[in-house]
Amino acid sequence: MPSEETKERITKVIELSRTVIHYGWIPFIIYVGFTRSNPQPSLIKLISPLA
Amino acid sequence: MASASFEKPAPSASTGTTTPAAWSYFNPVSPLFSAYDRFASWRRDLGLPHPGTVENISKEVKATHLSNFIFDGARADLTKTFSMSPLFQVTHSFSLGSQTLPSSYNFGAIFATQKIFLQGGVDHEGSVNGRFNHGWTPNSVTKVNAQLSQQVGHNMIQAEHEYTGTDFAISAKTLNPWPLDLTGIYVGSYLQSFTKNLALGVETYLQRPTPDESETSTSYLLKYTSNDKNWIATAQLQPSGVFQSTYWQKLSEKVEVAAELQVIATPARRDAVATLGAKYDFRLASFKAQLDSTGKVSALLEQRFTPAFAFLVAGEIDHFKNAAKVGVGVMIEGSTLTPEEMGMVPEIQ
Repeated sequence: MPSEETKERITKVIELSRTVIHYGWIPFIIYVGFTRSNPQPSLIKLISPLA
Repeated sequence: MASASFEKPAPSASTGTTTPAAWSYFNPVSPLFSAYDRFASWRRDLGLPHPGTVENISKEVKATHLSNFIFDGARADLTKTFSMSPLFQVTHSFSLGSQTLPSSYNFGAIFATQKIFLQGGVDHEGSVNGRFNHGWTPNSVTKVNAQLSQQVGHNMIQAEHEYTGTDFAISAKTLNPWPLDLTGIYVGSYLQSFTKNLALGVETYLQRPTPDESETSTSYLLKYTSNDKNWIATAQLQPSGVFQSTYWQKLSEKVEVAAELQVIATPARRDAVATLGAKYDFRLASFKAQLDSTGKVSALLEQRFTPAFAFLVAGEIDHFKNAAKVGVGVMIEGSTLTPEEMGMVPEIQ
């Protein structure tokens, strides 16, 4: 059984990774899609619903 | 895999000759391998079909019934495809005027290659849902599904690994696991074909809300597929008293019908719902109609005027409650690609 200190640290790491995924997931997909797309789209077309 | 590498020593061990063909650490267990090889070849000779997965056991019924597709109010989906291979598209969805759900805006992005599938969505309140699938080999897939929101208690994460063999499917799933005390929900499932038509399976739930509490429940599944795969019947029984059975039939290329019966007979609640639905697929339109024993009649028409523009009308009348819902929607698909880049022949308008 891990000590209280380790438990606390693991909890912190999980909370932090949850926050990172929460804010980073969509930008991550857009970044991956933007860089790997063939042909590469322009940024304005990517974000705006009307362009 | 193992059968090829241990083929050599296996026959000598099984026939009982004193001189092993080659010295190997595996010699003491080679009878086991040979038994396994014989069992595997016998199983191969049966030529059993792949039964599908437990999760998708009633996939056809769900695709025919419109419970998963019905909506009310107005909605618009604007999809833009930037690349076909790898697939990359973003969606802006607006929905408003619904009786049950508040108006919302949702932005979604999808990126997919042969092996990887990434999907994410964020709504105007900042809740994010995400999906990540990774295929290690064509028959071994890991899926992670998450829902993250600002509110406490609305976060959900689900991880699943699925392995599909030639005549079976096995999967392990965990919901909201907490690695420190191993609380959460764990689900294991196995589906095996026994004859060309019949597949049987089990699904076991292990629920651990706190470290000292745990509860398991097992449900049993049956799936019967006709020889020409034109009809499928399934049954699912949970010993706690829930029984679900479905029937799906393809009447012609364009018409599919499905029926579902759900019976709940627990000490706390006794209830049964039967649902009957049909789906018509036309060249540019699809029509779904459904009738259920709670008095609801509903229909959904999806009419595609051009390949990029579709119009949806949905309606539901609850005869017992005297209530009605109507929904209209548009789906617009745009692309920054020229038709040639999409690998299509340009269409004459």
